[in-house]
Amino acid sequence: MSALEIRNVRKNYGSVETLKGIDIALESGEFLVLLGSSGCGKSTLLNIIAGLAEATSGDVLIGGRSILGVHPKNRDIAMVFQSYALYPNLTVRRNIGFGLEMRGVAVAERDKAVAEAARLLQIESLLDRKPSQLSGGQRQRVAIGRALVRKPQVFLFDEPLSNLDAKLRLEMRTELKRLHQLLQTTVVYVTHDQIEAMTLASRIAVMRDGRIEQLGTPEEIYNEPATLYVAGFVGAPSMNMLKAVVADGKLVVAGSDVRIPLPARYRTSAREGAEVVVGIRPEALRAANSTATDLSLPVEIEVVELTGPELVISARIGAQRLTACLPPRAAVAKGETRSLAFDEAALRLFDPSTGMALPTA
Amino acid sequence: MSSTWMTTRAWLLMLPLLVVMVAVIGWPLVDTVGLSFTDAKLVGTAGNFVGLDNYTNMLSSPNFSRTLVTTTLFAVISVAAEMVIGVLAALLLNQDFRGRAVLRALMILPWALPTVVNATLWRLIYNPEYGALNAALTQLHLVDAYRSWLGEPGTALAALIVADCWKNFPLVALIALAALQAVPRDITAASLVDGAGPFNRFRFVILPYLAGPLMVALVLRTIEAFKVFDIIWVMTRGGPANTTRTLSILVYQEAFSFQRAGSGASLALIVTLLVTVLAVVYAALVRKTAGSAA
Repeated sequence: MSALEIRNVRKNYGSVETLKGIDIALESGEFLVLLGSSGCGKSTLLNIIAGLAEATSGDVLIGGRSILGVHPKNRDIAMVFQSYALYPNLTVRRNIGFGLEMRGVAVAERDKAVAEAARLLQIESLLDRKPSQLSGGQRQRVAIGRALVRKPQVFLFDEPLSNLDAKLRLEMRTELKRLHQLLQTTVVYVTHDQIEAMTLASRIAVMRDGRIEQLGTPEEIYNEPATLYVAGFVGAPSMNMLKAVVADGKLVVAGSDVRIPLPARYRTSAREGAEVVVGIRPEALRAANSTATDLSLPVEIEVVELTGPELVISARIGAQRLTACLPPRAAVAKGETRSLAFDEAALRLFDPSTGMALPTA
Repeated sequence: MSSTWMTTRAWLLMLPLLVVMVAVIGWPLVDTVGLSFTDAKLVGTAGNFVGLDNYTNMLSSPNFSRTLVTTTLFAVISVAAEMVIGVLAALLLNQDFRGRAVLRALMILPWALPTVVNATLWRLIYNPEYGALNAALTQLHLVDAYRSWLGEPGTALAALIVADCWKNFPLVALIALAALQAVPRDITAASLVDGAGPFNRFRFVILPYLAGPLMVALVLRTIEAFKVFDIIWVMTRGGPANTTRTLSILVYQEAFSFQRAGSGASLALIVTLLVTVLAVVYAALVRKTAGSAA
């Protein structure tokens, strides 16, 4: 039995289809990240699970029980909001215990649960303060504490880290990961930040225009993107996408005479004469020695940027642009023509008309 | 540009207004203080200095204490009712329903009308011969015969309070509605997930955001209600048998109807002092509540 099951959920606002049939089944203890840009429907889906919005059709089951029409408080879920949504005039202690208080849990039991959550989140010293006396990171801990004490079957997080500054975001991300490893609860987590998705998720659902573009483990999403959209959305800098044509069993990069061998696994799906998009991650490229091999791209380097841990170069191959992430001490300079080498396994081919990855043999 | 010049310029810009204020508020106030120590009539002699006689006479007169009670009753009951009805109306108008915009606009009407128009309207409604209230109550068999709502000592003050509520609850509702829209959606959602029912949600989630603005409404309305004049003057002139006579009406009667300028002046100053005390206490309360939902 799945901890959370979403069956063909659709949502219309008037004539606008926000969700166009979502199917997900989560095992207990899974950390699912709904990843997508704003307007893709990820928050709507989360609100439907929480009971803050009603699905137009479809079903949502928690622990095998349909929860459509069930009041949010009876769904056995807890939610953490982007704005923290703390009650401003209640102390941290009462904020965390509010859900238990509203459910009529005895004071002694409530205090014990609050103390336990505060200890886990290292906010014991803040219990008697009001939210206005806390920093952003502390507020977020309180909001998480409020969800923790309820011990729900499913935790829902709505972009919980996006109001924090970069350093704190990193800290809280690790903290969330630690908590999840410790508590092993089922989580549904909404974000538009692909790093958060990659680092936290046991599975990622990349959403776009009300549909799931790809559902898979972070490794699958990163290494085997199912569509051009996923390939472009996950990874920073984005995956390079070169237009090419299949000719004589080779990939000819459009606008140049560069030929690279067609990987064997694509022999059946990439037909002779077909236009394809060749995807290659910037971090899969490396500066090669001057003797160009088959598995390399001759490029003209336009911009070199040192980010600290790596050297990001922007280059041109024919009329197309390319980004590569090289080691910080790579000997490359602006204006140079260099060969960038790669492994054959790093290539991904897509059909430009459908945006889908070509099947591999 | 030096700060001295900025300050000088500020004073220069305010000067015309200051002159007007001194002329129409400052001088009459000083003059009233002087007048209150004399037995001057409204017309004729300048009057003789009588010391604190006007004050002691006024404060010990049964008219004054009775009027103070009437005024307090009027202010407390109408303001309390306006606050409750105003907040309820705001909660209702904050819901999502068809025609909400129209209803919101309509609600403001009573407050937007001049008080005199409003008072005249209610006098018609309460009319003992052809008033709508009598007609409605008779048709509903709630009363046997038409009554003079404003003419009977037992009902006149209550009838006035209803009219005053009708006129002023929209102000409270408007302020409350604005405050309600400032309640973050996420917090309301969080309270739903946390299992707070409508009452607890109002108490723990909505009220903290309402408290500050409502305090301002309370201050404004109490002070206005305490010095109420026009609606009562138009509807009952303080009658019947002085049962609706408030402090402002008493000041008017003393100074103009009985032409006792000195005595009227002393009473006016007493009322001013009472309202000032109220205002100071309330201002402190507003400062205290303002930070509650910050």
